[in-house]
This record gives sequence, structure tokens and C-alpha cells, in this order.
Amino acid sequence: MAEKDARPHTVLVTGATDGIGLLLARAYAKRSHHVLATGRRGIANDEEFFKFPNITYVTADQSDPRHAASTILAIMQDMGWEKLDLAILNGATAWTGPPYDEPINTIGDQLKVNLTSPIHLILALTPMLHAAQGRLVMIGSTSINKGHGQFATYVATKAALNGLSRSLREEWRGKANVMIIHPGPTRTRMHAKAGLNLRFVRLFFMSPKKVARAIQVAIRRGNEGRKIITRFGCFMARFSWAGKGQL
Amino acid sequence: MRVLITGAASGLGRALTEELLRQGHQVVAADRETDSLENMPMAHRGSCTIRFVDLESADSIQRLLASFQGQQPFDQVFLNAGISATGKFEEIPAAAYEKLIAVNLFAPIYLASRLVGKELMARNSRIVFISSLSHAMGYPGASVYAATKDGLAAYARCVDKPFRKERVRVLTVFPGPINTAHAKRHAPEGSKASKRMAPQKMAKLILRAAKGKSKTYYPGSKAYFGALFGKMMPGLATRLMRRGIYDKLKGPVY
Ligand SMILES: NC(=O)c1ccc[n+]([C@@H]2O[C@H](COP(=O)([O-])OP(=O)(O)OC[C@H]3O[C@@H](n4cnc5c(N)ncnc54)[C@H](OP(=O)(O)O)[C@@H]3O)[C@@H](O)[C@H]2O)c1
Repeated sequence: MAEKDARPHTVLVTGATDGIGLLLARAYAKRSHHVLATGRRGIANDEEFFKFPNITYVTADQSDPRHAASTILAIMQDMGWEKLDLAILNGATAWTGPPYDEPINTIGDQLKVNLTSPIHLILALTPMLHAAQGRLVMIGSTSINKGHGQFATYVATKAALNGLSRSLREEWRGKANVMIIHPGPTRTRMHAKAGLNLRFVRLFFMSPKKVARAIQVAIRRGNEGRKIITRFGCFMARFSWAGKGQL
Repeated sequence: MRVLITGAASGLGRALTEELLRQGHQVVAADRETDSLENMPMAHRGSCTIRFVDLESADSIQRLLASFQGQQPFDQVFLNAGISATGKFEEIPAAAYEKLIAVNLFAPIYLASRLVGKELMARNSRIVFISSLSHAMGYPGASVYAATKDGLAAYARCVDKPFRKERVRVLTVFPGPINTAHAKRHAPEGSKASKRMAPQKMAKLILRAAKGKSKTYYPGSKAYFGALFGKMMPGLATRLMRRGIYDKLKGPVY
């Protein structure tokens, strides 16, 4: 995977219907790779939605980890994929609020979508990733460095992915390349979906385009643990989220 | 003091329970295996209430929480219960990983959240999360176990401030190998039990730290230096863990 696009690669991007994942799916399609995009939504016309003929979409809701993994594996087999060059595990969900008010369902959902589902998926994809000596990329978050009082369970799932990546990277040495990349605060709809109105602070967050580009560079170079940040954006994120009320 | 301990029937939880009872405290000992708790030697000064809980089941956790309603709040809570799964990542079935995430991550998160949210914690009380030294070293050969323990440590760091506002302080403990049945089951062949700390000693160290002010604690000099090494040379630490553990694995244990 380190060589530059010598042949079309097989690429999986989860959570590819919005934000960073959508941009990544399109970017790899633009470089004429075969892209399998997944998400929780139903999409009527793949080509109309993604604007690329070489992106196939399949609905695989990660809140049902077992089903999502078997769906994704099945469609890869249908498409005749025998190897997987690159898997980007990007799909994630968040809830924001004081940890002692967090509903039981959102604790469970974040664990399933952000952690259990990636684990099921990696198990299902292991033979194909090993066959390609491929690259397994998890998307973490810089929030794991200092923690965040309003995103406790979300941060826990990202820290867990970080731990998984660290140990699995060592286990799979020589078989496939495991890495994690940590984006900093990015101007996607993720925060709104989590119930957080960022207001003006949004302005200081990084543009999803830049972040997606930086992720591709990190993947190509194999920069394990790469953090994608602008100092001021991180500062503003802490400053604003530390405020009162629903922020 | 009134204290809650999960995973109280064996290992570190058992040692914590017995030490607290010896000191004359009121202990609520929760576990899915309660027989061995019934047979505890009665030489203790404190009083022990035994509660059944299956931490794989959210319903069971809910029932445990409901049983605390209207009772005296807790001064200390040890979210100690944990399970492991060792072997090559791909040789362990997904179901075992689901169990790991349920017991090691969902259960303590949900318990901590509700204990504070439902005002079951006393003023100036303490919640102690038991993570693992793997947080500092990495753990090839138990990668999902390590993931859950990293997740728990991160959760504890996140809730530190919000819980403090509710007058509950958080402590995260990162124990190295303890000489328990759990460790024996998962240690690679040929590893020496004498190199693992006795649970009774570990319990005393942790209880002392729970009285103190720090937010994190690596019990014993081995854990302390392990953490230092892991922080300074994370890559090398994980590689050495691979050599010491992963390369000596005989087969999956879960
Ligand atoms: N934005 C940030 O500031 C930031 C910072 C650090 C890390 N990250 C990480 O970056 C990654 C991308 O986030 P983003 O900012 O691009 O967020 P986003 O725009 O909300 O995209 C998340 C993607 O995941 C999908 N998804 C959510 N729940 C799902 C489920 N149950 N099953 C399958 N797919 C699901 C979403 O689907 P829908 O389109 O249906 O919502 C969407 O396609 C995530 O892993 C996130 O944790 C983001």
C-alpha cells in the first residue's frame, strides 16, 4: 500500500455518508480505486449520491455489529474481492452532556458503533487484509489526550480503539499494517448530531477537506498515531466546551 | 465507611473486601458468584452485604442499582470486576469480545454514571476504577482487553471534573500482574507466580491510595517503573510485551 497507486486498490471506508468519511471515499475513488462505502442510511442511487461510478455503497448499521460485519463481508465476496488493501474504520457516533445524565442507550450505542463494530469487522476482514498485506486504519480523536467532560463515553471508545491499534499493530507486524490517525476538532455535522451547538466556535475548527487530505497523506506515509490539529482550534474547543450549559 | 465492591468474590476484589471488613467497614460485595462470599471467615469486625450481579447484563446492573435506592450512600466504590481474553486477536471469537466490552467497559461506565446521577454517592466520596498496567505498556496477545482498559482509563479522566462538581472524586488504578486465578489462567506458560503481587498486598496499597489525593495510581515499584518506561518508550515497551507474552502464547483463553 506504500507504493503510489500502482494498481487499483480495494478500499473500505465505513461511515462514508457524511463528513470526513464521505470525503475519503470520494478521494480514493477519484484515484480510480475500488471503494466500498458503508453507513447506516439507505441510499437509493449510489452514483447520484457519491458522484463516482467506482463507489459501491452498502447499508451496514454499526449499532448491530454482527450484522454490519457479515453484510460488508458478503458484499465484498459478491464483488469478487479476495484481498483488501485498505480499510478505514471511520464510522462513529457521539453523545454530549454531563456523564451522570447519559442515557443507558447512548452509552451502549457508542460502545457498539465505535468499538464493538470495528472489532467484528476486523475479525471478518483479517484474512483479506493479511492476503493483501494491507493497511488497517482506525480513526481516533485527539480528545483522548486530555479527556473531555462532556464526551466521556465517546472519548472512552476512541481511547479503546487507540489501545487496540497499539497492541494489534504489534501482533500483525509483517502481516498487515495497523495504524490509528487522530483528527482534531473538525467542522463536520458530528457535533450537531451529538446534540451540541458549537455556534461561533465552529469557525475555529479545521475544514473537513483539509483533514481528509491530511489523513490520506498519513496513510500513504504510514504515520502511525498522526495527530491532525491546529493549535488554536484545539484551544478554542476546550475553551468553549468548558463553558456552562449546553454548548 | 460504606463501600461497594464489584467482582468481590475472588482475586483483588476479594482481598479488598476482606481488608475493608477487617478494618471494620460496611461492605456491599457484588459478584455473579456469591457462594464463596457466604463462606467468608467471620473473624471480621465489619459487616458484609452480599449482592448478586451479572455485569454482562444491563438488567442485572439495573437491579443492583435499584437495591441501593433509599439506602445510605457509598463513601467508596471499587469498580474492580474485569475479565480477560488472551490469544491472537483473530483466534478469539467475537462473542468473547462482546463480553469483554460489556463487563470491562459498559458495566463500570454505567455504574459510575448512575451512582453519581442518582445520588448514591456520599459527599466527598471516591470512585475507584481498576484499569491495568497494559495502559502504559500495550498488551499484544490481549489487544481487546487492553482496549477496554484504555477506554476505562480515558472515561475516568473525562469524568474527573464533572464528578468533582458533584463532590465525588475519581481514582484510576493501573495494577501490574496480581497473583490471582485470573492471572494464572491468562499468563503465558513458564511465567512465575512469584513475580506477581499478592492480592492482599495490592489491596492494602490501593486502599491507602483511595484515602489520598491523587487521581491515578500505579501500585508497587514494578508498575511505577513500567509506567515510566511505557511513557518514555511506548513503541519499545509494546514490542517487549510482544516478545514476553504474545510470542509465548500457547492458544486462546477466553
Ligand atoms: N468532527 C470532529 O471534530 C472529529 C474529531 C476527531 C475525530 N473525529 C472522528 O472522525 C470520524 C468522522 O467523523 P465526522 O466528523 O466526519 O462525523 P460525521 O460527519 O457525523 O460522519 C460520521 C459518519 O459515520 C456514520 N455513522 C454514524 N452512526 C453510524 C452507524 N450506527 N452505523 C454506520 N455508520 C454510522 C455517519 O452516518 P450519517 O451520515 O447517517 O450520520 C457518517 O457517515 C469519526 O470517527 C469521528 O469520531 C471527528
